[in-house]
Amino acid sequence: MRQPQRAASAEAPAFEDARLLRRRLAVFLSANSGADVVVERRSKFPAGFSWITYAVQVAGFARAREVILRIGPPYGLFAPYSAMPEFDSLSALAASAVPAPRVFFASDDPAILGAPFFICEKVEGDTPLPWGSQGQTMEGSRRESLAADFIDALAALHGFDWRTTPLAKWGEGVTKENAAELQIDDWQGRFERWALRPHPMAHRTLAWLRAHAPKAQHVSLVHGDYRLGNFLERDGRISAILDWELVHLGDPIEDVGWAFLPQYRGGTSLVCGLAGEADFVARYEARSGLKVDPASLKFYIVFSLMKLAFTHVAAARCFEDGLFNDMRMPAMATQIAPVFRQIAKALEGTW
Amino acid sequence: MNNSLPRLIDGMVATLRKEVIPHIDSDFARGQAYGVIYMLSSIKLRAAWSNAFLSEQLHALEETSLELKDLAAELAGAPLPDAPDRTKLPDSAELEEVRNAGDRRICELIDWLATNRATVAPGVLTRAEAAIDKYLNWQSRFELKTSAKPMFAEMSGGVEKS
Repeated sequence: MRQPQRAASAEAPAFEDARLLRRRLAVFLSANSGADVVVERRSKFPAGFSWITYAVQVAGFARAREVILRIGPPYGLFAPYSAMPEFDSLSALAASAVPAPRVFFASDDPAILGAPFFICEKVEGDTPLPWGSQGQTMEGSRRESLAADFIDALAALHGFDWRTTPLAKWGEGVTKENAAELQIDDWQGRFERWALRPHPMAHRTLAWLRAHAPKAQHVSLVHGDYRLGNFLERDGRISAILDWELVHLGDPIEDVGWAFLPQYRGGTSLVCGLAGEADFVARYEARSGLKVDPASLKFYIVFSLMKLAFTHVAAARCFEDGLFNDMRMPAMATQIAPVFRQIAKALEGTW
Repeated sequence: MNNSLPRLIDGMVATLRKEVIPHIDSDFARGQAYGVIYMLSSIKLRAAWSNAFLSEQLHALEETSLELKDLAAELAGAPLPDAPDRTKLPDSAELEEVRNAGDRRICELIDWLATNRATVAPGVLTRAEAAIDKYLNWQSRFELKTSAKPMFAEMSGGVEKS
């Protein structure tokens, strides 16, 4: 069974004890659904570095026979977590054209399962991954269908009117003028918490980003990790966009920049292994009504590379602090320099 | 330790690859073993026996040679060991701190240039930025040169690519 190996700690949280988790989850679901819910079986999805995901079969829960339980462990890559941004955004998107799981419950109260968690429906589908099939392109009609869904869902997300939903409270202080700056501030803060040593290239990148921050065309909901590997596919269609943990309000082109990263091209020249750059931009512009300005796109590709480099810095920190013994963590940390090198090439000596 | 560090690492990697991994049933556990191989291969490109490890031995040699020196008159013609020159060498932690202090100053210079560009003569600014970029390029190339070939596919799937 795939399982991240934790460093020793004084007391394991409730969610790490299978029987205790089952019992507490049943109590929680019963109390919140007004029915006598029994948790029958749970299986853990292959381990990531951040949220832990379980498929849980339940009896007596009227809204679903099987649910997804996501838990944000205190030792995860981006800990400490809150379940509320993902829960609130998915709740708001329920009536939108964005394919996303229906969410049922969420809580940040550690007394319940030992860590923040949320519960949503289990959407059927498989996850195509950007690694493991290097150089193998998807078959034509399947790829075209997925590309269309992938781009259309992004356009729908960026056209979603968050101001008429409870997400309106996120909008305080976020403007077209400062959307990029706020994200730079956020990731600089993360970097300063995570860095184990000085990284001059990080400062060089931050200085460049601050000097070239674009004005957004409008402030939209931004997924934050929109890429191959973060959606479910069923019969050649996207059945759900997943992994909303970095969702925020910002410049929609930020998601385009992230999707354009070479790391997610699956060994092809296609954006997320799905669409050529020009085709991607043309369809996105037509569906969203937004323009993909080349300077803005370049800014967000550099920003995305920096996010990726900083995530590798987080992995180094996580391993160094003894939170995780998973060997993929130090391996990820070796990628800080290659990503910084990609940034240096993208900047081409401009300051 | 009687073997060289690079040879020991080669041996550990070969043992894991040939004698251990083929007998592991779990994909995840094999992936972790490939992670160990990847990290060992990177360590091989960067590590040496520590200064402190060798320094302890030089210290013992120095003490012995000083004791024997007192007997030199009575041991005419004997090949007595010289006291080794134990010039104080920085250990790896001290070298790392020197490197970090230098990098920290470069970070501060980049930040300073970003906020004071308007006050610096254009020619000077260009030369300063070019010097910084030259160092950053050297640094990233050096990092890449001293890192083993990544094994992410192996770590994900638990199967070695041919």
